[in-house]
Amino acid sequence: MSAARSTLAGAVVATLRRDLLIAYKRKNDLFNPFMFFVLVATLFPIGISPEPEALGEISAGVLWISALLASLLAMDNLFRADFEDGSLELLMLSPHPLYFLVLAKNIAHWLVSGLPIVLVSPLIAYMLNFPEGAYSTLVLTLLLGTPVLSLLGSIGVALTVGLGSRGLILAVITLPMSVPVLIAGTLTVSQTLEGASLSGYLAIMGAMLVAALTLAPLASAAALRISVN
Amino acid sequence: MDWTWFHKWGSPKWFYELSGKWLPWLVGAMVTCLLIGVTWSLLFVPQDYQQGLTNRIFYVHVPVASISLAFFPLMAMAGTIFLVWRMKLADVVVKVAAPLGAWFTALALASGSIWGVDTWGTWWVWDGRLTSLLLQFFLLLGVVSLRTALEDSEGAARACALLSIVGCINVVVIKYSVDWWNTLHQPSTNFTLATDQANGPEIWVPLIFMIVAVYLFFAISLILSTRNEILQREKRAQWVMDLVAKS
Repeated sequence: MSAARSTLAGAVVATLRRDLLIAYKRKNDLFNPFMFFVLVATLFPIGISPEPEALGEISAGVLWISALLASLLAMDNLFRADFEDGSLELLMLSPHPLYFLVLAKNIAHWLVSGLPIVLVSPLIAYMLNFPEGAYSTLVLTLLLGTPVLSLLGSIGVALTVGLGSRGLILAVITLPMSVPVLIAGTLTVSQTLEGASLSGYLAIMGAMLVAALTLAPLASAAALRISVN
Repeated sequence: MDWTWFHKWGSPKWFYELSGKWLPWLVGAMVTCLLIGVTWSLLFVPQDYQQGLTNRIFYVHVPVASISLAFFPLMAMAGTIFLVWRMKLADVVVKVAAPLGAWFTALALASGSIWGVDTWGTWWVWDGRLTSLLLQFFLLLGVVSLRTALEDSEGAARACALLSIVGCINVVVIKYSVDWWNTLHQPSTNFTLATDQANGPEIWVPLIFMIVAVYLFFAISLILSTRNEILQREKRAQWVMDLVAKS
């Protein structure tokens, strides 16, 4: 092991690089959350109404719920492969605080599964007749909100990483916890449309992100120590 | 400082014997409070001039709803005690409190619905309080299902303790965010006791009896299910075998 990697920053960068490289090599995992997001958003006009007015009214909620479900689906990849091939145990044996390594894994995971959703959201929003004048707000809220969803989800994933089939239990644990983010995201969009000042709402979402960044990896690290003996 | 009182709680046998001595007193107090509270609130409290007899469900709904809010703090406290001191009894409390809390939350939601259908004209509205209680119900079910899914008892105990702590923080965040969401979207339903300043003691004294009765009922249910769980976990221990042989 090179000397650079024995520092904390080196370990974080190495974890980040490794996860991004693995994601790049397994393009399926890279593509699936993104596809899922687009597919779920497509179901709403078919299921509810193709009328532009009706769609415009619900579009912010549709985009947020689709993003929430896509991030939930993507969470499964966060620790599972590492748990199965044993590299998670090695990560936990490292002398560096698990907090930062979990944070690095979270960031890599968000870059791969969350960021594409944020980037494609204006396109889907246009197809759903999203009201003009709130596009930038939508992207900003998703940019602040999807990392919080990933961070919250990682607690649930870490708690259930040892389980064979855990699709539903992960949803049962994670979805109620995601409600505040969903509320903040959709409220910010609807308040922008009513002409309210944005800064207060974005500040609250930023506060949620900071709180999640500080606290969630702590809980995830503790949960990993419980799940991996 | 002498810590023996604290270490005693680490012994399930000690708790089993102690709680056995408490139970008759608790049950006696509960029955007394319940008899006074129920008779007073159902027969002697003057009818509400608008809501009529329906208002009497207030005496069930308020105590049940207030106790259901206590479950996550209770589980988080017990969970912390378990994670820090590895006290088995605390894990038993986390385990039995989750389904019990789900039941109490369901009761609070159901009694609220029955009251709501007569006063608001609907079984359900997406009011801040209702929504946050519903989400708390889901979170409690999440703790229950995590316990069932993780069969390994030591790992499950620690995972559930951690989830209880995370859930406790989250319930607070949900509570505030849902209030925020609701007050912006629809005029909030003025539904607090504070707006009822005019009510005299003939309204709230029976309520206090009911609250004490429901709290005692909660304590008794918690103790009974804790004792049950202790017996199941310690079924190989000599003192449980002696207990079974005696009965």
